[in-house]
Amino acid sequence: MTDAPMKLTVVGAETPIWRKRLMSVVSHGLLIAASILMLYPLLWMLAASFRPENEIFTSASIIPSSWSLDAYFRGWHGLRTSFSVFFTNSFIVSTFSVIGNVFACSLAAFAFARLEFRGRRIWFALMLMTLMLPYQVTLIPQYVLFRQLGWVDTFLPLIVPKFLASDAFFIFLMVQFFRGIPRELDEAAMMDGAGPWRIYWKIMLPLSTPVLATAAIFTFIWTWDDFFGPLIYLNRMSDYTVMLGLRTFTDSTGMSDYGGLFAMSVLSIVPIFLFFLIFQRLLIEGIATTGMKR
Amino acid sequence: MTLQHVATSAPAEAEKPSVWRRIWQQDAPGYLFLLPWFIGFFGLTLGPMISSLYLSFTHFDLLTAPRWAGVDNYVRMFTNDPKFAASMRVTMFFVVFSVPLKLAFALGVALLLNRGMKGLTLYRSLFYLPSLLGASVAIAILWRQIFAADGLVNKFLSLFGIIGPSWISNPNYSLWTLIVLSIWQFGSPMIIFLAGLRQIPQDMYEAASLDGASKWRQFWKITLPLLTPVVFFNAIIQTIEAFKSFTPAFIISGGTGNPINSTLFYTLYLYQEAFGFFRMGYASALAWVLLALVAIFTAFSFLTSKYWVHYDD
Repeated sequence: MTDAPMKLTVVGAETPIWRKRLMSVVSHGLLIAASILMLYPLLWMLAASFRPENEIFTSASIIPSSWSLDAYFRGWHGLRTSFSVFFTNSFIVSTFSVIGNVFACSLAAFAFARLEFRGRRIWFALMLMTLMLPYQVTLIPQYVLFRQLGWVDTFLPLIVPKFLASDAFFIFLMVQFFRGIPRELDEAAMMDGAGPWRIYWKIMLPLSTPVLATAAIFTFIWTWDDFFGPLIYLNRMSDYTVMLGLRTFTDSTGMSDYGGLFAMSVLSIVPIFLFFLIFQRLLIEGIATTGMKR
Repeated sequence: MTLQHVATSAPAEAEKPSVWRRIWQQDAPGYLFLLPWFIGFFGLTLGPMISSLYLSFTHFDLLTAPRWAGVDNYVRMFTNDPKFAASMRVTMFFVVFSVPLKLAFALGVALLLNRGMKGLTLYRSLFYLPSLLGASVAIAILWRQIFAADGLVNKFLSLFGIIGPSWISNPNYSLWTLIVLSIWQFGSPMIIFLAGLRQIPQDMYEAASLDGASKWRQFWKITLPLLTPVVFFNAIIQTIEAFKSFTPAFIISGGTGNPINSTLFYTLYLYQEAFGFFRMGYASALAWVLLALVAIFTAFSFLTSKYWVHYDD
């Protein structure tokens, strides 16, 4: 008891108020400078999409001399196929991926977190090992398989694996969350004669909305951003996702229409940015508790 | 059936139900819930792994059946393939520089933010944004412009009278633009560091400052040792990600890995071999070498971790 007040005075004496204030001003200064430096490229791209074409190469400022939406109209129809098609395709692929991932991963996670069966530990360890596996190792046989099934140039190679819980990361994420739900709840339900399916559907899923939402949002963003999958499996321009559309834009126009390219680039990150604005707390907590790569 | 009959047979059944019945009741639900994952695990992971190991010992062009080649692919890779050597150098250079720098930034900013700053959540969100957007093709396109001859960076340099080179088309700098892009995305390891810092008990610092330990000393003697599990975790995740990095190099070099193979990431070379030249056997061998690299790195990290990672029991 006697130490406590003494400790306070000692610590207080060590760092005088003015020094603390100075440190705080310096820290804020550093952080604000870092934020501006980091966000400048993004703001500049946003500005470039609104400014007159000739100004893109001459101005480093983030305030255009005049504003116009021209680049957006030019860019939208800048390729043989319009970006309406690419955006529709991206939405279809991302939406189905979200449904598949949330459903299949939560089923697997429920089994790992709650059900007793022989071999559970082994399967769980194998599941964790697939987390480390570079996708290149399975890439070519998967391609051969999907080609034999006639799935090349369809969205199926991008969507079906999600319904098979191929992204083990989300299983792990959900197992962690399910383990935190009190077991008494399922035991009580079991007493009332509920089977595993009812427990999963009526108890676990309703109580797990935060983790299901986190998984859904990250799946959407990662699928939306995915470039490699569509690059390999989609060859017809009418099947292109937004990311493939952008890539074609950089090739075909020989970078002559920077304004249009930037306008479409900005639009391509709008959905991600909206998720960020609305759900940032959920996303940041998801990373903090599980350690996500992005 | 008499009452007595039921009474005597029921306990007997409860004691010794048939094996199948027990399997059905005990194990079946687990396996049924895992069914989608099992199909994926065997059909899309384990099966393809075995198949790609086999393909790595063949010549295979996708159109005709694979021809057995023994260890040809591996021999060629290590003795007679300058592009393989180049891609290995590029990837190693990228991993060795981008991962430690990214983690140093992440830790530095996390330490600043952890001082009970006002506006913590705002800063945290702002710094996280590039991590979330960074994998996008749009950002790679932006990067290509920023570091072009007439790009944003050179415009700033010209304010000071410096005429910068075309960073992306100069083989001395092109890989560095990709390293900078990777560091720019320090947000997600930063968040993990912040979560780790919050776990360190505050009274350890109070005790240390009572003993007259400077902030600098406190960092090296308390913060860093207690944070090593998080450093370890971040280092593994980020290194594996760096090995797998593909999109930025593809977009910035237009799929070529140029200038003079200076951005020929291993994954990019593998893609070219597989889907540019349809040398699927050789590409499979490349994939297995990548897996071996990642496995060796991970095993090495775990083995050495007991000497530098602090686990409190």
